Amino acid sequence: MAVRFLTGAAARAPVPVFPVVGGGARDGVEELRLCPGIDVVASPRAATVLLVAGWLPAALRPAAAQVHDQLPHPRATVCWARGDLAAAAETFPAATVVPPDGDVVAVLKRVHRGLVTGERDSEASLLPHEPPSPWKGVGPHGQGGEGMMGGRPYGRPMPMTGPDRDGLALDRLPLRVGPFFPALPAGLVLDVVLQGDVVQEASIAANAFADAAAAAERAAVAPGFGDDPFRRALREPVGVPLLELARAGHHLRWAAATLRLHGLRAAALRTLSLAVGLTSDALPRLAALRRRLERDPTLRWATRGVGRVSAAQLPAGLGGPVARAAGVVRDARLDDPAYADLGFRPVTHDGADAWARFRQRLGEAEQSLRLAQAAQSGAPASVARDRVESPQGELSTASAPSGLLLGLVGDLLAGMEWGDAVATIASLDFDLEAQPAAQVGVTLR
Amino acid sequence: MFAALGTVLAVVLAAVAALLALRWLGSVTDPQQVPPPEAVPVLGGHPPPTHAWSRFHLRYYPMTLVFIAFEMEMMFMYPWAVVYVQEGMKALVEMGMFLGILSLGVLYAWREGALRWQ
Amino acid sequence: MSAVAPWVAVPAVGGALVAGVYATGVLDALAGRRRAGRPLAVGDALSLPWRRACLLLVQRGVSTERPDASAWMLAPALYGAMAAAALTVVPLSEGRVVADLRTGIVVWGAAEMLAMVGVYLHGWSPNSAFPLLGAYRFVAQAVSFELLSMFVLIAAALPARSLQVTRIVESQESLWNVLRQPLGLPLFVVVTLGVAFWGPLNLPDGDDLAGGTGAELSGPARLAWEGSRAAWLVAASAMGAAAFLGGWLGPWLPGPLWMVLKTLALLTVTVWLGHRAARVRPERFVVSAWTVLLPLAFLDLVVAGVQALP
Repeated sequence: MAVRFLTGAAARAPVPVFPVVGGGARDGVEELRLCPGIDVVASPRAATVLLVAGWLPAALRPAAAQVHDQLPHPRATVCWARGDLAAAAETFPAATVVPPDGDVVAVLKRVHRGLVTGERDSEASLLPHEPPSPWKGVGPHGQGGEGMMGGRPYGRPMPMTGPDRDGLALDRLPLRVGPFFPALPAGLVLDVVLQGDVVQEASIAANAFADAAAAAERAAVAPGFGDDPFRRALREPVGVPLLELARAGHHLRWAAATLRLHGLRAAALRTLSLAVGLTSDALPRLAALRRRLERDPTLRWATRGVGRVSAAQLPAGLGGPVARAAGVVRDARLDDPAYADLGFRPVTHDGADAWARFRQRLGEAEQSLRLAQAAQSGAPASVARDRVESPQGELSTASAPSGLLLGLVGDLLAGMEWGDAVATIASLDFDLEAQPAAQVGVTLR
Repeated sequence: MFAALGTVLAVVLAAVAALLALRWLGSVTDPQQVPPPEAVPVLGGHPPPTHAWSRFHLRYYPMTLVFIAFEMEMMFMYPWAVVYVQEGMKALVEMGMFLGILSLGVLYAWREGALRWQ
Repeated sequence: MSAVAPWVAVPAVGGALVAGVYATGVLDALAGRRRAGRPLAVGDALSLPWRRACLLLVQRGVSTERPDASAWMLAPALYGAMAAAALTVVPLSEGRVVADLRTGIVVWGAAEMLAMVGVYLHGWSPNSAFPLLGAYRFVAQAVSFELLSMFVLIAAALPARSLQVTRIVESQESLWNVLRQPLGLPLFVVVTLGVAFWGPLNLPDGDDLAGGTGAELSGPARLAWEGSRAAWLVAASAMGAAAFLGGWLGPWLPGPLWMVLKTLALLTVTVWLGHRAARVRPERFVVSAWTVLLPLAFLDLVVAGVQALP
């Protein structure tokens, strides 16, 4: 009786969901945060439902299975599929599948209610029940260790020492921060070595979305991929209002994710609700939001001087907000007669740090809405070129800006404290899905 | 006074008992019975290569030494606060000198970079 | 100096903390959604903490590969029990205080220190990288703001000529400390945010650490931890109300009601700040705590000292 009372209240609580974000699903998952009955949580241990959204390349499926196993009981999986339902069913056999246009919120609530009231069984673990390496009975104490720090006690070795810049040789903690870490962009695998909480070495593991096998899979499975206005503009004329609204929406969503990373969750929700269903008459609200955010002293204090990438350190040919925030005036829209007619002039800032990039993207979002308004009121202009300015930088059929940005990361993060490293990666705005298969040569340390 | 301290102790013990009971509800009786894939620490999908327990490089260690100096000063300030009014200006000047000397320590630590991590 | 029997003290403190924790949950929900531009109906906000708590009781616990199991269980107990200990010295009204110790402020400081140990243990125990990072970050932050707490409370004790919290409240009959020692309350709000690691000072459980020391928690363990954080917010707000806002003093309304209202006011301010301010960078916060906030605390002490001279 008391248990039923408890489970009844628990079923009406906001559903804690941990998202595993695959290809084509980032915007959809972000919009879930606006729903009051859903709580997108930061750690799989806090969730009852695992939401596998979009398509997962084969390289990411073991990681998704590992995250699934980290959820506490009672747990369930919901696959918000885009394309290959068979692959989802293979990796997550007990999952509830929702088609791309289905009501995922209702399904999440239904699954959660079933789990909490006991009508639905909790899912068993997907990975084999083996320790990382056999340790029972190994070694002089039976726990797998040898000597002071050797062996593999309880299946894993102890961290070993290494030199640090101030001469003190203490332990180095190597970590592979996975593809589904909430503070990092979806799909990014960061190999770091931490000493204390300062990053000694960092490198980005191969982009699972961009290898040749993934590209073939994507073409077969997710035919709608490549629908975003910027990629379409490489093939056919796309109206300026559409491009600029997409750009403003992208920058606002990025700003919401960054605000959430810095602890301003309420401001993040406000920004996100502005981004969803953005039209050019949202300009006054965007201008007001931008003024308020730019005047926020705590945000400035938290991001000023973080992740400074001066113009000299930028890879050759890199444009986009990262370069423009360093004062480099490089914008593919400058060569476009349609924009010249609208009186376009690139926005730049100096400072080249995370704060400058934040202001840069908000400024560009406002500029985009103004351009969209101007283009709608005048004669509709259109754009069809071989180089298009996407929200990350210059996009062409041969290269995407994320590839150039990925090469920056290793040298940039060395010596940074962990919080600063995460803030820097967020400020560079990686879009791993957008990297074409041809451009896979990421600099690995 | 001991009766009051006894009450504080009783409250502390009761709170510990209550929170331990709550925490025990959520504990796993034998960590070694948990299936290994469910016990992997949260890193975003990959298992950690090593245990996390390590000799952590505490970069703010010099700052904690300055803190201990201030703590010792705080021990003197507690009785000082009680007799301050009856001692008058002399007490203010003495404590001012004490704080001034310690502030020089903080200033030195700051300029020498003891408060800097990187 | 009176002593209250334990069978009265324990329910009193427990009831106050549970009510305070629930109020914190409601205020947090209201403040967060209001700032997000999507206000929550008061009825929904009132039931939200209860529903969340029930969900956490239904969810089962987890473990990591090789945790320090006993420390992991004791850590939230220590942290939460210190909040209860801190609340015992704060008076509800004249004559109604659980432990009217002559050294009330010392007990408060000691409770704060031991709470720091609780948070560190909580990050150390799961043997996981991000909780460990959170634990070490918290020690840096805690060591920096503990001094502020002691200085501003000593400054409040100067005109009272006593470390007893009831005397400090009585000394504010002429003028509240927030008016005659204006730096005290803002610094104490920083301390409140720090000891409950809330909002801008949420370094141990931050979003860049995927939940930090709370990343490996689920079920009732998470409830115990989050509840203890809110309990510290309540205890520190109560102490702030007593030491700076005049405690039970005030016209027309009975003393206990004033105390509750003032505690709720401070609680609202800290919860609002939690949504309003971005999380600080650890190094920057440490530097500013030692070079800006600590001199301000000295200034507060000098101001209090000069005023208290006969």
